[in-house]
Amino acid sequence: MKRVVITGVGLNSPLGNSYEELYESLRDEKCGIEYVPEWEEIDHLGIKVAGVVKNIDFKSIPRKYRRSMDRVAQLSAISTSDAIADANLPQEIISSKRCGIAFGSTMGGNETLFEYIPEIKQSMSFRGQNSMAFLKIMSHTVAANLAQMFSIKGRNIPTCSACTSSAQAIGAGYESIKYGMSDVMICGGAEGIHYLAGGVFDVMGAASTKHNNEPKVASRPFDESRDGLVLGEGSGAVVLEELDHALTRGAKVYGEVIGYATSCDGEHITTPSKEGMMQVMETSLEDASIEPKEIEYINAHATATQMGDIAESSATFNLFGSNTPVSSTKGHMGHLLGGCGVVESIICLIALNKSFLPKTMNFKTLDKECANINVLGENMQKDITIAMNNNFAFGGINSSLIFKKYKG
Amino acid sequence: MTQKEVYDKVVSVLVEEFEVEDDDINLDANLFTDLKLDSLDAIDLMVTLDKELGIEIKTEEMKDLRTIKDVCDFVLATSNNE
Repeated sequence: MKRVVITGVGLNSPLGNSYEELYESLRDEKCGIEYVPEWEEIDHLGIKVAGVVKNIDFKSIPRKYRRSMDRVAQLSAISTSDAIADANLPQEIISSKRCGIAFGSTMGGNETLFEYIPEIKQSMSFRGQNSMAFLKIMSHTVAANLAQMFSIKGRNIPTCSACTSSAQAIGAGYESIKYGMSDVMICGGAEGIHYLAGGVFDVMGAASTKHNNEPKVASRPFDESRDGLVLGEGSGAVVLEELDHALTRGAKVYGEVIGYATSCDGEHITTPSKEGMMQVMETSLEDASIEPKEIEYINAHATATQMGDIAESSATFNLFGSNTPVSSTKGHMGHLLGGCGVVESIICLIALNKSFLPKTMNFKTLDKECANINVLGENMQKDITIAMNNNFAFGGINSSLIFKKYKG
Repeated sequence: MTQKEVYDKVVSVLVEEFEVEDDDINLDANLFTDLKLDSLDAIDLMVTLDKELGIEIKTEEMKDLRTIKDVCDFVLATSNNE
């Protein structure tokens, strides 16, 4: 088996557009959630707040590539460009058959979708439709666009599984390298903000609606007063590399991926299963060949929904008890859907490299229906070696990744 | 429409929608070799002109268009026929 390390990081999030910015925002307890006035125009949409990415120049993407990208792919392109530059990956490696990509999102380009379909339905004609619309909408738009923009020739694994999209992307990249099929995998995921996602969760009664006038306290994972999730947009990319390949070319190493598992509950389309969550964490621990007590920080999925947080706390407690520090960073930036797995994995790397465990924003009192896990209500400075990132998606899809500090 | 009106419209679409440099555009400029467009761009150029000018252009009628002059002549002829 090959060892897999992370040698490049890029991200665009409501908490900043780089590894260092994200760290500083978490350290300084910033919140990237804000009021979205445009959402007032939508009838029967209770949620009016979201985490929004700022200060990025989409025109930095050449038009040749940008023409087939909606916001979700453009965010991904910028994050990936930054990750490749950070890893100092030369083009001959990127374009070799041993370098691939795994990237996903919940949806393709929603902005284009909302123009394209109504126009065709209304006119019952394709006259006036350009050739790019479908390429922006299709489910694998991100992986396809990134592959052409960066001339990637190896494996291409689109992972479009909503909230586990980018965690599964990292997992697929890790397994590709671990089992010898690739030397380098560029992995990540994204979501562009759109009221569609807000409406979807609102209809199910799972979105926060009580804090539209105070966005910074709207998302309250694990807290007894939580009233649902807040959506966010964002993207992230990591360069995964076989250890010897990275060392040979003198790459810096952010950490090692030592465990991964993905599974499905096979039960209910939306109701989470604590047994399924527990199983995926156990399988990830088995993959890493470590015991639960060796995990020193867990970045929980915890979106601040009633059922999800309860089930996850129970699964986490059953395996790790009440001591292991746990936090959800969705209070800071909302739920990035396809982007959350990779951005929260990058937060695990920050935890390993900066000896910094972020708190759960807006967490004061653990919901009495949650199991008694150690939810961090304050930032913690602690030197740790191993961290776990868990994500769960509609359809009962589960993922668990384990990262280890690289000490040479 | 006059020849100049069509040319000005084609130029403005190329600059605004396709981000072609104004200085690179002239009647003899080749869409593919000089302006670096490809076949999908050519389709979308005609779709945009269709939307802006209200003239229908069929994909199969576009295959011989190479230069800005070809595009202008084609648009003008189609416009006059309609």
